[in-house]
Amino acid sequence: MSRDAILGRVREALSVETDTHVREVVKKSPHSLPVLANGPDGRTQAVKEFLPSVGESLEEHIAAFKVLSDKLQTEFIVVPSIDSARQAIEQLRQKHEWERVAVHNHDLVQTCVNQLSVEFLDTSVNYDAHALEKCDVGISGCDALIAQTASALVTNHSAGGRALSVLPPHHVVVADASQMVTTMADGFALIREKHGDNWPSFISFITGPSRTADIERVLVLGAHGPKKLTIIMISA
Amino acid sequence: MSQSTNPTTQFQTDANRVTADVDRRSFLRSSLRGYQKTRTATQERFLSYESARIAAGDAKWEAIENLDVYLAQFADKLESRGATVHWCSDSEEARSAILEIIKKHDAKSVIKSKCMTTEEIHLNELLEKEGFEVVESDLGEFIVQLRDEAPYHFVFPAMHLKKEEINTLFQEKLKSINTDDPEELTMVAREVLRQKYLSADIGISGANFGVAETGMISITENEGNARLTTALPKVHIALMGIEKIIPRLEDLALMLPMLATAGTGQHLTCYNSQLGGPRQDDESDGPLEMHVVLLDNHRTRLLADPEQRDALRCIRCGACLNVCPIFKNVGGHTYGTTYQGPIGSVITPHLRGLKDWKHLSHSSSLCGACSETCPVKIDLHHHLLRNRRDAAGKGQGGLAEKVLMLGFTIVMRRPWLYRLTGRLGKIGHVLTKPIHGTRIDPFYAWKKTRDLDDPAKQSFKQYWKSRK
Repeated sequence: MSRDAILGRVREALSVETDTHVREVVKKSPHSLPVLANGPDGRTQAVKEFLPSVGESLEEHIAAFKVLSDKLQTEFIVVPSIDSARQAIEQLRQKHEWERVAVHNHDLVQTCVNQLSVEFLDTSVNYDAHALEKCDVGISGCDALIAQTASALVTNHSAGGRALSVLPPHHVVVADASQMVTTMADGFALIREKHGDNWPSFISFITGPSRTADIERVLVLGAHGPKKLTIIMISA
Repeated sequence: MSQSTNPTTQFQTDANRVTADVDRRSFLRSSLRGYQKTRTATQERFLSYESARIAAGDAKWEAIENLDVYLAQFADKLESRGATVHWCSDSEEARSAILEIIKKHDAKSVIKSKCMTTEEIHLNELLEKEGFEVVESDLGEFIVQLRDEAPYHFVFPAMHLKKEEINTLFQEKLKSINTDDPEELTMVAREVLRQKYLSADIGISGANFGVAETGMISITENEGNARLTTALPKVHIALMGIEKIIPRLEDLALMLPMLATAGTGQHLTCYNSQLGGPRQDDESDGPLEMHVVLLDNHRTRLLADPEQRDALRCIRCGACLNVCPIFKNVGGHTYGTTYQGPIGSVITPHLRGLKDWKHLSHSSSLCGACSETCPVKIDLHHHLLRNRRDAAGKGQGGLAEKVLMLGFTIVMRRPWLYRLTGRLGKIGHVLTKPIHGTRIDPFYAWKKTRDLDDPAKQSFKQYWKSRK
């Protein structure tokens, strides 16, 4: 079997230890802070201590999320209540003239859209991808908002499958302020807690609307995915 | 690119042609200056970028030095989630594994998201020959595919093309409107490719990381094409080199920002997705089958080198290309390799043979910009020297180099001969002055792009004596 052959070659190759000089290069740096312990804890700590700082409090996290969102051209709307979230979505519907809206079985999403007079597509159950492609917007929940990167962390459970958040031209995320965490590592920890070893088959950090700069480095939004990303966060 | 000639000749010919094209070179330089500016700004937001590099480099060392354990764990976990793992020793095995899956499903069309490893095994050529429609969905890849070209840069595949050229290309191949506005051109590609996602039977992607602990692949992108490729077709095939492994899921929280910062200067790319298995019972969409094709293709040969296994830690951010003075002057196609720039020059001799590819390690100024910029601290410029040493040790330097080195040894071991050579050299320099820079100058090849200064009036030895 090729598995045994490849693993055999790997083991044989590793029977010779790495040249010490080469191995030491990683550890040397005149500008580094004290090096943290090796291994998983050290690296999770590294994300907090070496990557950009976003403070400790929720207010600081929201402020950092806002700054990066502006840069990314994510529309980040903070509202005081579920009711105002519902109004914000109604305003978006009028502004963008939504007719077909993709949603999924998610408490917060359902509460926010139940008075919207549009045609719905539910992607929590088997659905037709062509119908989803014709939707004006996909509205989903999320697992966490990441302050350090201004990302919405989603899985196929929190975002109505793999395609709802990427196929329609506009993606709206509704979240609660309690879902705001500091780093991506904190986001993974939340999913770990929620699903245990039974991981969803799809996890994604969504950081801004789809983009490309493949032609002369000019930024264009909506390369293949949504041209617009709106994140509505309920702060109460 | 001329394919028939040997790689060294091809490199020299293409390098001469590209370096003479001042317009294209300044176009390339100005776009890389833009990259450098964004990247510097992003890096400055870090509390300590240097420390982050050390931690990221360390994570990849842990993976590479325990690759047997982590690879097995990765494959077992993935299989327990219903994915099929294919272990392939070389390109041939990987190509047939992929072809077999496609044939089994009686597929007609294949949509691909960016994957350099498929370039390495020449997958598109094979699939097209077998009669399948293969579409590259990444915008840059889509453009170079329409031009029937190889990617120019493994992160920015179409960076050498101007918008006017893309306009002409799209009008010709896609019968599109006449526009050289990047936004309109992007929308043309978007419309063409949308329909392809919906109709494709098979989606092929790469993987930026393979998480051993949880059995997931992680894909980094900006456009959303990889997400669509792995969401809509009923079969997903991911091709990855065995070195892409990282130990734990949380390691991604560090590696993904590092990859983005070094790769494009973004603090994080738009979509970073982890995929662990096909659609599960309680899920509403996603492929019914997921195949992960693990490729060795001489990576174990590189792993067996106790010094240069370092290069297997590469996360393919492309930063070393962006800062390399050689890349800036000779351009991406000149390399004639899947992986261009310093990292390509280091690994290609291991993957494809030192004899044919050692010249890449000589096309370096050894300035060290690559090692300085690498987000996982690969000792790149020293590896170029190590390749040179290994080539010389194997007697691959050629006769001229051998004779020269023998002469050098003889002279350097005999002080009287060293003095004599010095004096003769001075006289020779003066006497040959009339033919300097002409074709009958015996050192023409070396001097045609360099000036040789007149030797100093006083040698160092004479100077030292006169000081006392």
